[in-house]
Amino acid sequence: MQPAPLIRLCQIGKDYPSVSTSGNRLRMIASLLFRRGEIPHFCALQGVSLELKAGESLGLIGENGAGKSTLLKIIAGVVKPSTGQIEVNGRIGALLELGSGFHPEYSGLENIHLAAALMGMSHSEIDRKLEDIVQFADIGSHIHEPIKHYSSGMVVRLGFAVATAMRPDILITDEVLAVGDESFQKKCIRWIEGYLAQGGTLLLCSHSMYHIQTLCQKAVWIHGGRMHMYGNSFDVTREYLTYHEEKNCKAEHQEHRVHPEGIYQIRSLWLEDDAGTEIAELEMGGVLRICGVAHSPDERPPVILFGVARVDGTSIYGTHSNETAYVPGRIAPATYGFCVRLPRLPLLPGKYTIRAHAMDPEGLRLFDTVNTTLRVTGQTRDYSLCRLEHEWLPARPDFAERERGVQE
Amino acid sequence: MAIRKLWPYRWLLLNFLSREIKGRYIGSVSGAFWALLHPLALLAVYALVFTVIFRVKFPELAGHSFILFVAVALWPWLSFQEGAQRGALAVQNGSGLVKKVAFPHELLVHASVLSTYVVHVGGFLLVLAVLALSGSDLHLLSLPLVLLLLCMQFLFTSGLSLILAALQVLLKDVEHLLAPLFMIWFYATPVLYPASLVPPQIQQVMAWNPFSYFISRIRDLLMTGNSQIGWQDAVMLAACLAVFTAGRWFFNRLSPYFEDFL
Repeated sequence: MQPAPLIRLCQIGKDYPSVSTSGNRLRMIASLLFRRGEIPHFCALQGVSLELKAGESLGLIGENGAGKSTLLKIIAGVVKPSTGQIEVNGRIGALLELGSGFHPEYSGLENIHLAAALMGMSHSEIDRKLEDIVQFADIGSHIHEPIKHYSSGMVVRLGFAVATAMRPDILITDEVLAVGDESFQKKCIRWIEGYLAQGGTLLLCSHSMYHIQTLCQKAVWIHGGRMHMYGNSFDVTREYLTYHEEKNCKAEHQEHRVHPEGIYQIRSLWLEDDAGTEIAELEMGGVLRICGVAHSPDERPPVILFGVARVDGTSIYGTHSNETAYVPGRIAPATYGFCVRLPRLPLLPGKYTIRAHAMDPEGLRLFDTVNTTLRVTGQTRDYSLCRLEHEWLPARPDFAERERGVQE
Repeated sequence: MAIRKLWPYRWLLLNFLSREIKGRYIGSVSGAFWALLHPLALLAVYALVFTVIFRVKFPELAGHSFILFVAVALWPWLSFQEGAQRGALAVQNGSGLVKKVAFPHELLVHASVLSTYVVHVGGFLLVLAVLALSGSDLHLLSLPLVLLLLCMQFLFTSGLSLILAALQVLLKDVEHLLAPLFMIWFYATPVLYPASLVPPQIQQVMAWNPFSYFISRIRDLLMTGNSQIGWQDAVMLAACLAVFTAGRWFFNRLSPYFEDFL
């Protein structure tokens, strides 16, 4: 028998109204009350469909403002979705934000009562569990002081302690672990692991890929209010990190890029295999050809530079055509073509950026940068960026003398 | 949401309630004393202005002091005014919770209004006790009926507060409207004067003010002991229930969208 999903989202969307004039506001109230008419809005979330079964753990990642928190709020029942259906079968414990449900003027103990009442616990239930909660929070005598004097880490301790005492069917946490100190984070992670082992269900939103990978089986990448990727947490986090590395890299290069007419520049750049077919992917150790067309304003052949870098911008290798006295061939007026061949490409599997630059014929000034990406495929257990030629040799007898020398 | 569905949240309501009552006076030295001070100060001012300066006299006093006349009306009125004003801002003040925790938002309003009634009805009973002990002629036997009237008044206040609170979240203007509204409403209600002194044309308009009913009725019960129940009481009870239900409908219709606006 298939267990019913604890959470089922179907084409969930959320629009936030954008009202500026007072006339708009009045019209909006009328349309909300009588459920018709259009309200000007902006879209925070769109077409999200998800299912979460008992015992599953799902990580939620995405950039700031991507809609992660909105999605968590919808699942927690704080926000009503504008479109789509949501079905939740179980008791939800939500730690949506730092100190949610706490009153700054009250002591830790009073706040435990309030937060527990918000989670639906009765007085007697709270009193029974109070000792455990206080023990888990482990903030000593501060428990009798008003929350306003707490550090953010202490507030999180208290919030998490209440959530743990409730033993929800579904635990939702939104980036709260990050505030706790090392030992409290470990304690929380241990607790979550135990909770998951006992069949608990977790929905974790975090910017710490480490937490996502260690605690979640699956992950969802929310991008621009839509589900960008869903799958195994390792795959999703890897893609997500790659995306960020590329983004940083782009931001850096946009500053340098100048393209006025009448300078030496690369017009196009592409990659080929040895047979001359254009490629974007290559088996590790294969042959790569980097080809391109460059423009020269004064009919003199430009100097070509190429480089290989990791997607985050760390450069691996670079050289220029002057080094080997290579001259690009003239293929049209003011246009030159070039091609460079790399036999037995030593790059390890992964994504790389291939760059080319055009320089003036004297090789003094660098004018532009053109990028293309290459994905190297293959199976290897080597580490880092590229394979250096090597062989393993047997030990010689004189190694022993050397060791003795060290001991004396 | 059916009112039955609020039952699991009774602990939360209790918590909100104690938080409201304690929170109002937390950090203040004399605590609940301040709850009595405001109406007592008002009463003293009115007594001074109307008995010492204006030297008012009207047949309804019939041997009672002006202080007693105002006192039996002042506490019920203040519970309404303060309850509605607090209730109207309850959701906005509780935005921290509304934005982060899922719970029936109307509890915030109910807790605000209820806490005000608890505080002021407590003060009212205390003042009645003092007045009775100091030899004023009060018909304390009709006290249960007075409490019933206060309950009706509470339903009315809650219904009105729910509507105001929802509007306040969406419109923000409500807050500024409250002070002038209640100032006018106060003088349009026979708290400082008997309804009989009002010219007949205006009396017809005033009949539409539910608080001229509440105040006159409570005063009547306590000062003359007239505990006859008529059709008007039944109509008012129905009206209070209607206002309460309408307020809840209005509020709960809009409450899913509160988070968008806070």
